[in-house]
Amino acid sequence: MDLAEKLKILSAAAKYDVSCSSSGSNRQNIPGGVGNAAYSGICHSWTDDGRCVSLLKILFTNDCCYNCAYCVNRITSDIPRASFTPEEVIELTISFYRRNYIEGLFLSSAIYRSEDYTMEQLLRTVKKLRGEYKFNGYIHLKAIPGADLKLISEAGKYVDRMSVNIELPSDRGLKLLAPRKKKEIILKSMGGITSYIDQYKEERKLFKHAPSFVPAGQSTQLIVGATPDCDLRIIKLSESLYRSFNLKRVYYSAYVPVSDDPKLPSITNPPLVRENRLYQADWLLRFYGFSAGELLSENNPNLDLELDPKASWALRNLHLFPIEINKADYRMLLRVPGIGVKSAKRIAAARRVGSLGYEDLKKIGVVLKRARYFITCRGKYYGETAFRPDFLRQKLLDKVPADSGGEQLTMFT
Amino acid sequence: MRYYIYDGSFQGLLTAIYESYYRSAKPEDILPRHRFTGNLFAQVEEIDTDEIKADKVFQAIKNKISPTALRRVFYAFLSEITGVELLIYRYLQLGWKVGRDIDRHLTDHRVAMIHKISQKVGLEKHRLLGLIRFRKLKGEIYYAPIEPDYNIVSLVAPHFARRLSDQNWVIHDRKRDVAVLYNQKEWVMTVLDPGRDYVLAEEEKYCQQMWKNYFRSASVPGRTNLKLQRQFMPTRYWRYLIEKQ
Ligand code: SF4
Repeated sequence: MDLAEKLKILSAAAKYDVSCSSSGSNRQNIPGGVGNAAYSGICHSWTDDGRCVSLLKILFTNDCCYNCAYCVNRITSDIPRASFTPEEVIELTISFYRRNYIEGLFLSSAIYRSEDYTMEQLLRTVKKLRGEYKFNGYIHLKAIPGADLKLISEAGKYVDRMSVNIELPSDRGLKLLAPRKKKEIILKSMGGITSYIDQYKEERKLFKHAPSFVPAGQSTQLIVGATPDCDLRIIKLSESLYRSFNLKRVYYSAYVPVSDDPKLPSITNPPLVRENRLYQADWLLRFYGFSAGELLSENNPNLDLELDPKASWALRNLHLFPIEINKADYRMLLRVPGIGVKSAKRIAAARRVGSLGYEDLKKIGVVLKRARYFITCRGKYYGETAFRPDFLRQKLLDKVPADSGGEQLTMFT
Repeated sequence: MRYYIYDGSFQGLLTAIYESYYRSAKPEDILPRHRFTGNLFAQVEEIDTDEIKADKVFQAIKNKISPTALRRVFYAFLSEITGVELLIYRYLQLGWKVGRDIDRHLTDHRVAMIHKISQKVGLEKHRLLGLIRFRKLKGEIYYAPIEPDYNIVSLVAPHFARRLSDQNWVIHDRKRDVAVLYNQKEWVMTVLDPGRDYVLAEEEKYCQQMWKNYFRSASVPGRTNLKLQRQFMPTRYWRYLIEKQ
């Protein structure tokens, strides 16, 4: 089979992994080498679904010996199979990289023969790419859960980011849809990577030239909508992954129907709005100082599909508002619906050289469409509506046409 | 109306700013020579670019205001927007007064405008770091044509000199007919003949085809959202994108 044909098969199978980031690593080029990493990441293109293309995302092989119900590569699925050699992956990566098509490589794999055998292939590939070919661009490697930790940790020396996908948010989901994947095995692999990352970090504090290990950290992916798990469970899980495993990112992927297994829900459109709300909630955990318990509770276990999670939180906590823009502390500014990190920083900077009126906020580029209902400027309220949750809710609703099943919303506009 | 006329280079603009402090005739507008059409009432002050004077202003902005302000001024200059010189001149007047606090004066029109313009230039620079596409030519040269809104070719060059340090490459701004050439050691800016022919290396078409196929299959059916795609990657950049041919 020629390389182009393999690429077709093995990229089609990899696209359902939604992590695309190429950020978090400072890897430098070396003399005679090719490539470096850009700390904030660079997008190179956007596909028709509006997602960023940053890394060449491929599977090493799609020839899987497992049979997870939600997966196109499962053993019973009737699809063409292919496998790369390490050299082929290297050739593709470098020729795309030299033309500036990509920021680096995202290498994942189905499980061929065994976890260890597959992990060995992946290790060989990244080791050769870095060593023999002096490639210093970004590499995101999927660790195979359950593979020997020695293999995983060896591979970690060559890559910028590693991930182990949890896929299904609950153990019950895993048992039903992916009986050979056990939560303990996944968590053990993740925990192993975390402790290696910590260990190498310590060493680097002592010895400046100690080798790096997964400098851009660890991430994972959860599939949303393939099991009945509620958002509370998902966001709680993410919160604990950020806290106890020190994960850099949790990705959420709306379940796209790939098989008609009766164990799976039958849906026509992937739950994209829900996926977007989860990203927004996740964002609030990581950058806005919110906790999962503030956003969701047992009585309120799912995110509001019509309203972004920050706005719904604010409506449940109206007693904290409106806040005075010239006095509120930075933490509270961040909690105002419609005010993002950039705007909050601008307000904090500008009010140090003079008090801010409503017009001043516009001038410094703060969008007031939503924020105006929750703030006062020099004591004056500009919301022009009764300060009641039901009235405010009407004003804040995202105008999503009812029939737009597949519409994807943008982050905090 | 009194015009300061300079040669269109950044050093020329900095010289003009230097002169404005020593000449009794203050500028009411500052224009590059190629934009000045002249008029009956124009009083023209010719500015001769002077490296030493320019460097004094350069250092003063950096040290007395801030390195960030210097970067903003340079980015704004590269926007080539009509009237940007006078805006820079006025922004710096405030800068000399308030020093490093300048970036807090966000409600000041001059500061807001310089921020807005330099951000636009910065955004385009960042976009092009990703959207530039090299084609491999016969003779082991990688060639990338671009047509950016702003004059950003010199801003992207250092990035590629670090990243693609072991290959020869050219980034050609076909709108302005300037180019950056890199020879595995250093990069230089130069004027490039627009009419030249470029012969692709043998494997180039095959590689492009693989990339196109990859791009097409990376999209998830059922999630199509062309509006979002255009928002991130405006169609004016598609002309030289291999995957959009
Ligand atoms: S092990 Fe991975 S590739 Fe194989 S069927 Fe399960 S999810 Fe798919």
